Amino acid sequence: MAGKSGREINATPQNSLKKKILSWEGGLVLIFIGVLIFGSVVSPSYTFTNVLREMPKYLAELFMMFAMGFILVIGEIDISVGAIVCLSATLTCFINRAGAPMVVQVIACLLIGLACGCLNGIIATNFTELPTMIITLGTQIIFRGIAEVSMGSGGSIALTDTAGFAKIGGRIGPFPIAFFLIILTAVIYIFVLSRTTFGRKLYAVGSNKTAALYAGIPVQRIRWICMTLIGLMAGICALFMLATTFGANTTTGQGFEMDVIAMCVFGGIATTGGKGNLVGATLAGFTIVCLRIALGQLNMSGQTILVIIGILLIASALIPGISQSISNKKKRAAV
Amino acid sequence: MSANVSEDLILELRGITKIFPGVKALNNVQFKLRRGEVHALMGENGAGKSTFIKVITGVHAAEEGSMYLNGTEVHFKGPKDALAAGIAAVYQHPTIYPELTVTENIFMGHEFKKSGFIQWRAMNQEAKKLLDRLDADFKPTEEMGALSVAQQQMVEIAKALSTHAKIIILDEPTAALTANESEKLYRIVDQLKAEGVSIIFISHRMEDMYRLAERVTVFRDSQYIGTYDVDKITTPDLIKAMVGREITDMYPKPKVEIGKEIFRFENMSRMGYFKDVALNIRAGEIVGLTGLVGAGRTETIQAVCGIVKPDSGKVFVEGKEVTIRNPKDAMDAGIILLPEDRSKQGLILKWGLGDNVILPIQDKLAKGPFKVKNEKAEYALSKRLLEDVDTKAVTIFDGAGTLSGGNQQKVVVAKALAQDNMKVLIMDEPTKGVDVGAKAEIYAIMGDLAKQGFGILLISSEMSEILGMSDRIYTMCKGRVTGCVDITEATQEGLLELSMEKGKEAAE
Repeated sequence: MAGKSGREINATPQNSLKKKILSWEGGLVLIFIGVLIFGSVVSPSYTFTNVLREMPKYLAELFMMFAMGFILVIGEIDISVGAIVCLSATLTCFINRAGAPMVVQVIACLLIGLACGCLNGIIATNFTELPTMIITLGTQIIFRGIAEVSMGSGGSIALTDTAGFAKIGGRIGPFPIAFFLIILTAVIYIFVLSRTTFGRKLYAVGSNKTAALYAGIPVQRIRWICMTLIGLMAGICALFMLATTFGANTTTGQGFEMDVIAMCVFGGIATTGGKGNLVGATLAGFTIVCLRIALGQLNMSGQTILVIIGILLIASALIPGISQSISNKKKRAAV
Repeated sequence: MSANVSEDLILELRGITKIFPGVKALNNVQFKLRRGEVHALMGENGAGKSTFIKVITGVHAAEEGSMYLNGTEVHFKGPKDALAAGIAAVYQHPTIYPELTVTENIFMGHEFKKSGFIQWRAMNQEAKKLLDRLDADFKPTEEMGALSVAQQQMVEIAKALSTHAKIIILDEPTAALTANESEKLYRIVDQLKAEGVSIIFISHRMEDMYRLAERVTVFRDSQYIGTYDVDKITTPDLIKAMVGREITDMYPKPKVEIGKEIFRFENMSRMGYFKDVALNIRAGEIVGLTGLVGAGRTETIQAVCGIVKPDSGKVFVEGKEVTIRNPKDAMDAGIILLPEDRSKQGLILKWGLGDNVILPIQDKLAKGPFKVKNEKAEYALSKRLLEDVDTKAVTIFDGAGTLSGGNQQKVVVAKALAQDNMKVLIMDEPTKGVDVGAKAEIYAIMGDLAKQGFGILLISSEMSEILGMSDRIYTMCKGRVTGCVDITEATQEGLLELSMEKGKEAAE
């Protein structure tokens, strides 16, 4: 049953350099460089070593960004991760105060995050009619509630033995340990999403759940894996939070979920699923971190910084639509 | 194609050319509609029929050409102009508002208003009048979403009538209808014609054309091929006009030595959907499964293939029982499903063709413990398969959504063929909305697979293809198997009878 018409179908991919530079990621590289230039122009203390020194307190949430990338690609959302960070950090403080060995503390911190994510996943896969936005809205309140109850009336808790966490928050040369780990995490996540069949399954689920199911992809298991994974990443985030703040309070992790979603969207990942990649998100994450440091050095208040980042985010969400309509117009004019 | 000067034309289009970015969707086409006639518009998918309809209804503006309504030239700036001029279209996928009532759907956009308030009672009365005219079996106050596709279509026709349309365009009106429902639609068309409405309709079904139309206009590759009197053109000639080549045998059923049983399921039940369904297929055999829409055919197959969980049922492949908990189990056992709805279940329309084809087997092609995508092998395989099924595409990276229905279906077939452990191929309505040329090609592939010793289950509502391709035919009605007939004894009437109430009584 060879093709009767003998029609040849081309199977050579076209990778032009021009396309790469004009892509969203190419634009993000320019924006990143722009932010660095902006920082060094407006603030004399915006130097390489200073930026790296200030980085740790912003880096922790980046861990969750990669897993959030997965979640958005499969067309779901998880807004409980900030609360998971809070709960995980709080409970780890208790374990620390009880005098458990450092290894136990680290494992507990990760496991608590993992368990919370797993719970989200179990609810999402057993009650498929519930949107994950609603599920995680609910668990967010629960997780933060448990943390607040256990912190008691003071609303905060501190580590007693900070030596181990100080080591985690330490640096190798000028680079914080977290920085290396972030790069490693980025490499792994980018590899999985762009190079493996699992990554393609994520895009399939996010693009068309029904067709993915018919193609033999375990849609529900993949949803569960992604939600559990982000729980684990929230545990890692909590670990590095503790390494910079040596304690937790009721506002720990607040707004992190929105931060990481914003970074993903800024990086070109669509919240509707099936679109975007983590190279863009990584660039966007570092761009936002560096911008925050620059604005912080200008003594801008945290709230003002948020306003600026919000404006940037909306602008970035609008640009693809605008450029699309421009190119459509060009095409129409060309005919 | 008579150049009769005295022809009473209600609508005429001359030299219409419509260009979309990169493609000429219509190239200098013409069309003449006589007053009060039913005129079929036929051609393969992508021949430009839908675009042409959209030009008539003012959705698209043509780059060249002119349109005359009752002899005077008209220029429509949008669908509103066309409606005002008395031209209404009923599309294949009607834009309905499922949460609103029938009345609201009918009068959407032209509600009866008095000093700003909607006149509900008057609207309901008018809606009732319209529905009575169509002999509808539902009330204007019913919710649109609760109606069957056939009923929704009736609402769309009522909507067209509510604008006092003189020309009604029906775009594939019977595609989603059962034989009974189609018959009802035919009667509605007859009645509209008797009332002096002129009708243009698009359909891939020859039956529709023979039953309804006096004349037929054929488009091919964006061009006008000709207009013929239905009673003066033979089916092969008409198909040749549409396809551009002769199709000697629509159903190329090869002589196949039928082997041992290859696939069987029994005792399949799911509360409220189907009960005690059993079926078997032998190697090289094409087994038809027919029944009215809603008979539970698709639901049964979904359970067999692990898409939904049945309450009970056993599946055997080559005599051995297989446990199927999810679609992957079924695929691993060699049971491959070609789903009913290619755009929702069969394909990811945003993706390229190649990625769609290899999606079910990407893990088998992958390299190393981390299952790295083997793009080289993927490209080669998808290229070969897409060429095998003769897909009309330029590269394997073309978006699946950009192809016509027939070609999309070929991609789904290629996707099924990619699974080299296939033993049984279950094809659920494989030619729905597929043009005649692509249909013949799909039948050819089906025959070829049977020759290679695969078992094939053909689920279809179209009697001609069931009778043309099957060796044995099962019928279902209301979730039960009502008969299993050998092709030598099968007749259209017999199968229909088994598919309807009578058959059900026989089963009880």
